[in-house]
Amino acid sequence: MTATINDRLLGQPFDRLDGVLKATGAAPYPSDVSIPGQAHAVLLQSPIGAGRIRAIDSTAAEAAPGVVAVITHLNSPALGEAPMTGLGGPPRNPFTDDRVLHYGQNVAVVVAERREQAMAAALLVDVDYEVSAPILDMDDPRAAVENNAWGLETHDGDVEAALAGAQVTYDGTFRIAPETNNPIGLFTTVAEWDGDRLTIHDSTQWPMMVRASLAAVFGVPEAGVRVLVPYLGGGFGNGLRTWPHTILTALAARMLGRPVKLTLTRPQMFTSLGHRAQSRQRLRLGVGGDGRMLAMDHDATASLAAEETNFSAIVIGSPEAYATPNVATHDRQVRLNIPNPSFMRAPGHAEANFAIESALDELSYQLGIDPVELRLINHADVHPRSGLPWSSNALRECLTVGAEQFGWNDRNPEPQSMRDGNKLIGYGMAGVTFGWYAAPCTATITMDSAGSVIVRAAATDIGTGTYTVAAQLTADLLGLSMDDVTVKIGDSDLPPAPQSGGSGLAVALAAAVQSGAAKLIEALIDAVGDSSPLRGKTVDEVVAENGGLRLRDDADAGETFREILGRHGLDHLTAEGTSDLAAAAKNAKMATAPAFAARFVEITIDEDLGLLRVKRLLSVVDGGRLLNAKTARSQIIGGAVMGIGMAMFEDTIYDQDTGRIANATFGDYLVPVNADVPDLDVVFVGEPDRFSPTGVKGLGEVGVVGVAAAIANAVYHATGRRMRSLPITIDQLM
Amino acid sequence: MVRAATKLGSVTEGTVILTVNGVQREVFVDNQTTLLDLLRDHLDLTGTKKGCDQGACGACTVHVDGKRIVSCLALARQYDGRDVTTIEGVAAEGELHPVQEAFVRHDGLQCGFCTPGQIMSAISLLEEGRASTDEDIREFMSGNLCRCGTYPNIVAAIRECADRDGDR
Ligand code: FES
Ligand code: FES
Repeated sequence: MTATINDRLLGQPFDRLDGVLKATGAAPYPSDVSIPGQAHAVLLQSPIGAGRIRAIDSTAAEAAPGVVAVITHLNSPALGEAPMTGLGGPPRNPFTDDRVLHYGQNVAVVVAERREQAMAAALLVDVDYEVSAPILDMDDPRAAVENNAWGLETHDGDVEAALAGAQVTYDGTFRIAPETNNPIGLFTTVAEWDGDRLTIHDSTQWPMMVRASLAAVFGVPEAGVRVLVPYLGGGFGNGLRTWPHTILTALAARMLGRPVKLTLTRPQMFTSLGHRAQSRQRLRLGVGGDGRMLAMDHDATASLAAEETNFSAIVIGSPEAYATPNVATHDRQVRLNIPNPSFMRAPGHAEANFAIESALDELSYQLGIDPVELRLINHADVHPRSGLPWSSNALRECLTVGAEQFGWNDRNPEPQSMRDGNKLIGYGMAGVTFGWYAAPCTATITMDSAGSVIVRAAATDIGTGTYTVAAQLTADLLGLSMDDVTVKIGDSDLPPAPQSGGSGLAVALAAAVQSGAAKLIEALIDAVGDSSPLRGKTVDEVVAENGGLRLRDDADAGETFREILGRHGLDHLTAEGTSDLAAAAKNAKMATAPAFAARFVEITIDEDLGLLRVKRLLSVVDGGRLLNAKTARSQIIGGAVMGIGMAMFEDTIYDQDTGRIANATFGDYLVPVNADVPDLDVVFVGEPDRFSPTGVKGLGEVGVVGVAAAIANAVYHATGRRMRSLPITIDQLM
Repeated sequence: MVRAATKLGSVTEGTVILTVNGVQREVFVDNQTTLLDLLRDHLDLTGTKKGCDQGACGACTVHVDGKRIVSCLALARQYDGRDVTTIEGVAAEGELHPVQEAFVRHDGLQCGFCTPGQIMSAISLLEEGRASTDEDIREFMSGNLCRCGTYPNIVAAIRECADRDGDR
């Protein structure tokens, strides 16, 4: 029993429903929230990279104008431990003891009547540190190493034997600088207690997780904690944990018995939230003369904080990227005195793709096989590990359509062969595979007597378009217009929903909404009168259209929602939909398919100045059934822009003596600006996915994957110089 | 460098009178308060956003006497007597400004946090006649960061407005 997708509204490029609110400045973000009587908190963070706090003297700060409290590890109560989530362990609790494990660790919270007063007073807190030498280099022998911490390694076949027998072998090492997510919205928490009940406005991508964490940390009932985030100023993975500043804001509010607001500063956005780990990958491939990959050994090392966890493995997707019979992956995390790495858009996949797709480019020259052809030769027609058929896979089409539209055949494969005046021209491409993910999700749909509906789920819209696509899908399934649907999300009191993360929300939420729509139609049929033509029919026998239900095989036999609800004097009817696709996948007898893509890029390099520019970038994406063609395209171009940042600009620089982040501002940490980005072309190919009940695939992250490799490959084509380290900076090109 | 050795300069307070979105406002602030914080914290005009407080992201862009500035680098007390327009003041009588309308239609916004600043910059750009080529649009919009990566859609929105105005 499913509610039928009518394709009437679904996929249409509707303007974002929240577009006007955002364009007029009326959308309320956590940083816009003010509660009467609130005090303002600011963080004092450690200026040292490792050591111990000998003493803290906050007398002067406490005496400063407007100050109501200075909270440190010396006067804060013990906190409970937040639980493990589907994405690993919680960050280390704040104020645990006197040890400093990284630069920018929270040392004190200063609370005052006004923010300016708290900022001024924070400068008066006198902290005496015992400084030790931080461990900052992944090769430092003192650094502790976690091997295969999450059991995500693969060992399939006999890699060493296959490598030894291969006609051509490849062995390359790739480095990627640590990147910082840097959403433009400064993360903010506003906390207010009422006894054991906590209402918290928080910059998060996962209200349910923040609710569970805070309940455990403060030892209060989960049902009494309400997390609100109707709008979020971007996250890109930053909002997938309950970070210490959120706990500290709630702690201050609890200790003071009044609402407290805290907004991170831009430099604190580097130290208080996660970032993309620094990484080093060694990739060994064994290939036959026909270009077929026989063996892959992918060994990745990523940075990790001193005492925290990061549920991530760079190699997680490598075994399913291509039809490689023998695969071994190795996952290593090295503990450093740095703020904790965490998730940043396409964690693992973005890094691994750079290595694999660069290596294939190198091999294409060695083997004399066109790069597109080489990907097609190694295409995984079935899932390479399980042997199961894909629930959908249009990667071949991505590659061929992309080559065609881009004009790939105009490329003279010879390096340094194409130029325009003093500008070298390079063409590069990359194939893109990703990982499938979906978590359990609930959504309710409530219809009122006028036939309008409200969809509710504790999901978030982090710029991805959740409000819009949820409304579009609901309206499509129930035969309503967009105006008839209201979407309520961003509130943990709503029906449980997973995070905006792992490209899993759209898939899970769409399935839950579809299930809810079917149950609502069923409930409506149950409510019809004896003489109704709908009496006793199943959901599959009716069609929802024009604000009512009718028989599938008789367009005139039906009733409007108004009539059905009015007959019983029902002022509303609610149905709850659920989805648990990961559980369903176990019996699906097919490999659940993520999005696939191919990327083609043209770059220019000024021969004299080494200036690298992206001239055009084409993404061809198998996104399954699109919920909204406009917002889907925006997800891809947004990812591509972040990919340009990864390729050309982004590098979080730790001072190697002190662990200080030397470039923790937007003046110093470079992200792509408008002038760095050309018009970006996006083409969608493929069919609705067979496993995903709505045919939908996640598109939030795949946009970033493959951009760096395509650009690096284009740089090789332009210059003959192979870039194995990101970002590609001018000094590498001069 | 373990703690700051200096005390801040002395804090004084005073009244600023400025016109905000056509209405004269009188605000009592201290000399450390930025124009951005005056708008957000004192006048509850939270449409103008703070993305860095360091003049580097453009989220706080407003118009002062018709010219765009980053309001996080402006001390409120220095703006006594000036005429300020924020994102809340650009739509006339409930009608969206054409630039706002174009941003929505071209999806020049995702999370929307940079959007008020982008739109204030875009309006200036068009008024200054600096949107005559795509290159100019890109260059003169580069003070407004968008981490969601909406740049091509922002350019499309501004391009359309410039075309309609006959600026190109
Ligand atoms: S907040 Fe003013 S430029 Fe960033
Ligand atoms: S729309 Fe999110 S930062 Fe621009």
